[in-house]
Amino acid sequence: MKVTRLSQARRAFVSIAALALAAGATAQLGSAQLSMDIPAKPRATVVYAAEPQSVPAARRAMLELRFQIVPGFHINSHTPKSELLIPTTLNLEPETGVKPGAPVYPAGQLYSFPSVPGEKLDVYAGNFIIRLPVMATPGDHTMDATLKYQACDNASCYPPKSLPIKIVFTAK
Amino acid sequence: MLFAGIALVVWSGWQNLRQRRSAMQEQQNRRVDLIPDSQSAAAWDSSGGSPLKGKPAPGFTLLDLNGKKVSLSDFKGRPLVVNFWGTYCAPCKIEMPWLQEFSLKYAADGFRVVGITYDSEVGRDTIAQTTQRLGVTYPILLSTPKAEKDYLSNTEALPMSFYVDKTGKVIEITAGLGSKDELEAMVKETIAAGGR
Repeated sequence: MKVTRLSQARRAFVSIAALALAAGATAQLGSAQLSMDIPAKPRATVVYAAEPQSVPAARRAMLELRFQIVPGFHINSHTPKSELLIPTTLNLEPETGVKPGAPVYPAGQLYSFPSVPGEKLDVYAGNFIIRLPVMATPGDHTMDATLKYQACDNASCYPPKSLPIKIVFTAK
Repeated sequence: MLFAGIALVVWSGWQNLRQRRSAMQEQQNRRVDLIPDSQSAAAWDSSGGSPLKGKPAPGFTLLDLNGKKVSLSDFKGRPLVVNFWGTYCAPCKIEMPWLQEFSLKYAADGFRVVGITYDSEVGRDTIAQTTQRLGVTYPILLSTPKAEKDYLSNTEALPMSFYVDKTGKVIEITAGLGSKDELEAMVKETIAAGGR
C-alpha cells in the first residue's frame, strides 16, 4: 500500500514521541513537531494542585490556585487572540461566609503550530496560577469551582472540558 | 466537666481535619482526561494507522446547515476529502481555508471537500458564522454519533481528514495540522488515485 510522505513524517513522530514519553522526557512549548497520524495515546490531564491556604479573616486577601498542564499540551489563555476560540475561565459556586472577587488570570504566552509559524495564539502551558481575591469570615472554607478550558497538542485540538475543583482555605 | 469539654474540642477538631483531608483527597483524585479512554487508541492498528485505510469509506447521510440531507454517495466517482473539524479547533480553522482553496483549484478534476462538524451541539448559527468567516463554501454537515464511530473510532483529536479516491476507497488519513504544501500533495495524490 502506498504511504504518503506526510504519513511517513507523522508516523516517524509517533515513534519519537513514544520514546520521549517512555524516557520521561518533557516536551517544551515551542519545540513541537509535526503531528502524528493517530491521536496521542498517553493519557493526558490538566491537574489542580490542591493545597490548603490561609488568609486573613474579614479582609481582602488573595488565594492562589495552581494548575498543571501535561507536557506537550497547551490550553487557550483567558484572552485567546481569536473570538472563535474558547477562553480558559474559572466559575465559582457561592459559599457561605466567602465573598470572592473576579479571578485574576495570568498573561498567556504566544504559541504557533509548527507548520504555520505565522499564526500566533495566546496559550497557557506547563504551570499556571489563577489568583482569586476573597473576603471571608473566620474559619475553614471550601469553595466549589470549575475550570473550563480547551486543550490542544502541537497539531490537534480536543473538545472543551470542565475540571471541577475544591478551593480549601482557612481565614484567621 | 472540664474533661468532657476538652474531649469535645478534640473530637470536633478531629472531625474537621478528617473532612478537610477528605476534600483534599477528593481533589487530588479529580483529573480530567483530554483523551477519553484507551479504547479509542485500541481501535487503531498497532502500526499507527486507522482500520479504515485501504477500505471503502463508510457511508453516511447527514444534514447540512440548511437541513438538507447529504450522503457520501452524492460524491460517487469523485476524489474527496472528508474533513472532521470543530468550532473550537484552532488548527482546523487554519486548515479549512486551504481546503476551500483546493476545492476550487481542483474542481475541474472532480475534486470535492466535505466538512463534518464534530461539535454540532453549538448550533447551526454558530457553525455557519464560523464557516462564513473562514470563507468556506464547500458542504458543511452536522456529525452524528454513528458517523463519528465509523470514521473516528471515538477519538476526539481534530482535525481529522480522510482522503477518498474515485473508487470510494480511503487511501490516506491524517490527524492534526500539517503544512499547506503537504495538504496539497495529498489532494493531488487523491485525485490521481483510483485510475481515470
